[in-house]
Amino acid sequence: MTRYILKRILSGIFTIWVTTIAVTLLIHLVPGDPVQIMFAQSQSTTPEQIEQIRSQLGLDRPIYEQYFMYMGRILQGDFGTTIRGNQPVLELLLVRLPNTLALALSALLITMLVGVPIGFFAAYKRGTWLDTSLMTGAIIGISIPSFWLGLMLMYVFSIRLGWLPVSGTDFKNLILPAVTLGLANAAAVSRLTRSSMLDVLSQDYMRTARAKGLAETLVLSRHALRNGLINVVNMLGLQFTYMMGGAIVVENVFAWNGIGRLAIQSIFQRDYPTIQGFILIFATVVVVVSIVLDILYVWIDPRIKYS
Amino acid sequence: MPLLDVKHLQTRFYTGEGVVHAVNDVSFHVNDQETVGIVGESGSGKSMTMLSVMRLIPQPPGKITQGEVMFEGQDLLQLSLPAIRRLRGNRISMIFQDPMTSLNPVLTVEKQLTESIRVHMKLDKVAARDRAIELLEHVGIPAARDRIRNYPHQFSGGMRQRVMIAMGLACDPKLLIADEPTTALDVTIQAQIVELVKRLKEELNMAVIWITHDLSLLASLADRILVMYAGQIVESAPLDQLYANPRHPYTLGLLQSIPRLDEAQKAELKPVDGMPPDLMDYPQGCPFAARCPYVIDRCHTEDPTLEPVSDRPNHAVACWVKPNGAAVLETARAIAH
Repeated sequence: MTRYILKRILSGIFTIWVTTIAVTLLIHLVPGDPVQIMFAQSQSTTPEQIEQIRSQLGLDRPIYEQYFMYMGRILQGDFGTTIRGNQPVLELLLVRLPNTLALALSALLITMLVGVPIGFFAAYKRGTWLDTSLMTGAIIGISIPSFWLGLMLMYVFSIRLGWLPVSGTDFKNLILPAVTLGLANAAAVSRLTRSSMLDVLSQDYMRTARAKGLAETLVLSRHALRNGLINVVNMLGLQFTYMMGGAIVVENVFAWNGIGRLAIQSIFQRDYPTIQGFILIFATVVVVVSIVLDILYVWIDPRIKYS
Repeated sequence: MPLLDVKHLQTRFYTGEGVVHAVNDVSFHVNDQETVGIVGESGSGKSMTMLSVMRLIPQPPGKITQGEVMFEGQDLLQLSLPAIRRLRGNRISMIFQDPMTSLNPVLTVEKQLTESIRVHMKLDKVAARDRAIELLEHVGIPAARDRIRNYPHQFSGGMRQRVMIAMGLACDPKLLIADEPTTALDVTIQAQIVELVKRLKEELNMAVIWITHDLSLLASLADRILVMYAGQIVESAPLDQLYANPRHPYTLGLLQSIPRLDEAQKAELKPVDGMPPDLMDYPQGCPFAARCPYVIDRCHTEDPTLEPVSDRPNHAVACWVKPNGAAVLETARAIAH
């Protein structure tokens, strides 16, 4: 087990390393001269200033040298500074990261609390009107774009009813973006839970449990749920990374001050150091979450033994 | 009074494609401490009959449409759900074919063994655990005290079936229904499991219903045999009688398709030609008529009911012709020599 975790951590580090290469190449993948593009909108920049920025970013050197420079800097915790304002990128990202994590985790909680029970009941009542209406609702939920759902929620609860603020950074402001992000994913999770539970409910061990004379609630909670959740936990892990991505849209709708919003701003401003830093931080979060999940599996499904 | 008395049991499955006639007017009984073998090919309704007795068929699409199942003086089909649950795993136990899929993969053997003990015998956790260890030792699992903490996948196929049997015996049942418990096991393990059940049956004074598609397996095990075909019992006889003088053409066909060690190598195995009928499109007349070498006109129009053979009160057969099985087997043997 310890060996397995160690192996996973090493492969995680490898993934992040590959990301650093991609991030370095990113600037060169965009057509045209990157520095020119960065300053395309500001007329006042002189050719001397452009050259200065170019050498500051190391763009006048060969690519491999650029890479080693970049690696050397990030290993020391230096992610560079923003193009405008010269703020340290890492600090900018780390200040906002907890906001994004809080949003994604609350959304994940909503996804679980809504999606899993809906899928479970739909499976248990398969073929009935309850099943059909829940799953129709789920299809609608999957189809609604999150920015539109966000705007609608904002319209109803903030503008019409005045219950919740439109934007801001305290706990009350978290509710609407988390619900927006959570519901869309709950729809997908409910469908997966349903199909996973349908499979479990038809298994032989369910018949064995009933043959023992156990009450139906015990049969479902002890024998069905845990088996059904194996697939669901797998999906929730993937969902969490999607949510980190989905957060980019939702953060912008609700002006939630997370790294997603920062990323969009940086993209509009062609702020390469910030975009690079964002991608690296994002990749790290995804890698960490997937390692945590793999460890969680062993706990849920004893058949998985990593060696 | 028999321990279990089933009368005119009928089970249907209402599917999108049509109605499946799974169990058709089945009547039989099991006496106290008797071992009854139910034999028939896949889809002949043997498992469905016993699942109906336990009221374990999935509803919907399944439905017990008719019949009476008397067990210890009460009709199981009339009991409330909580009342039937008090009997399941307690007075009547059922063990299943594939112990890999019939045990829950994510729960320890301890959890799966103790849950019925705790529900039915009202024991606390420690006492239930002691009982479970005792049961595992009883079914021949070495180092039971340690192994109880293991998960099903950590046991071999034969050991898993022993765990399954321990679960079935947890509350000292009066009747154990074994649904092809050895089919998924290899032959040597099969023999061990058969011996184990025989021993336990004697020790615990219980009756056993053993479902199988392997007629030869029952030779050392059963007191009486029921032969099922297309959801019906077509022949019912004491073991010796059935082997020596089968009176239903299907039973005769089954006996002739079993290889025997004590007879000449040349003796030819005769498979039963044809396929069993589609239970969704149940034939008029005798369901075996289409495959029967003794078929007469009446077989196509009238379905024979199970009736005692005149000179043998314990031997019943559902056939208009009732061929003399003993003579047929004798002739076949003579030709082989």
